Amino acid sequence: MKSQTATNKTLSIPDLDLGDLRQAIQEEYKVVAENPDHGFHFHTGRTLANILGYDESWLDGIPERAVESFAGTGNPFSLGELRMADRVVDVGSGAGIDSLIAAKMVGPDGHVVGVDMTPAMLVRARQAGQEAGLDNVEFREGFGEALPVFDGWADVVISNGVLNLMPDKSVALEEMARVLKPDGRLQIADILVEKPVPEGAKRNIDLWTG
Amino acid sequence: MAVVMAGFVDFEITWRADVFSGAPQESSAANFGTVGINFRARRAKNSEEWHAALASLSCEVPA
Repeated sequence: MKSQTATNKTLSIPDLDLGDLRQAIQEEYKVVAENPDHGFHFHTGRTLANILGYDESWLDGIPERAVESFAGTGNPFSLGELRMADRVVDVGSGAGIDSLIAAKMVGPDGHVVGVDMTPAMLVRARQAGQEAGLDNVEFREGFGEALPVFDGWADVVISNGVLNLMPDKSVALEEMARVLKPDGRLQIADILVEKPVPEGAKRNIDLWTG
Repeated sequence: MAVVMAGFVDFEITWRADVFSGAPQESSAANFGTVGINFRARRAKNSEEWHAALASLSCEVPA
């Protein structure tokens, strides 16, 4: 397992401190975890799942506590259903909805590791996993840039709306490659920005989380 | 390109859509043309496959 220590270094974007950015993201998603009806600048919950084309059958047996705090930008499962006995890593697993769907898809011989940096989300996801009675899924605290997963462990890496929150995409993608087996599948939902982003906007932490 | 540089091949964006419109709070997403996407790729089977993918990224710069 990689034991890289995440630091609060300033990244290639001047004046953007990684520690400050992570704190702002954690504060935002703590609210999503603990008060999902608050109303955000993004859709959440079952409404979002419908927008993103989640099959109703995928949500069968998924506890409401995971569904209502769901935040994402796409549908990793539309890129290919997972296979029985697959090992899956969910980067930025949030309240756990995608990890739990994955755990159902891969069956008892498969295993899913959800990784998230926000303690409130980990609490919610672990509660949901217990409530769902799925013992082939676990949630680990960690950063996308230093995944707490052994090299070459996973058949599939999924992620939903999280890569855009990591300033150094190259490091994050290299981590995803590291934990995948050769020929392993990457199934990612994220965002695409189609207009140039001014340098000032890149340094505005409020825009990173909103 | 970043995806291939990280060790992947067969990168493909399969879907894009406006996933922010109508959210409870006003979003800055529209200001930057932000859309949700799905993309997939595959970790290269070996260094030969990866280097072939890297080579396909290169292009000639006109004189």
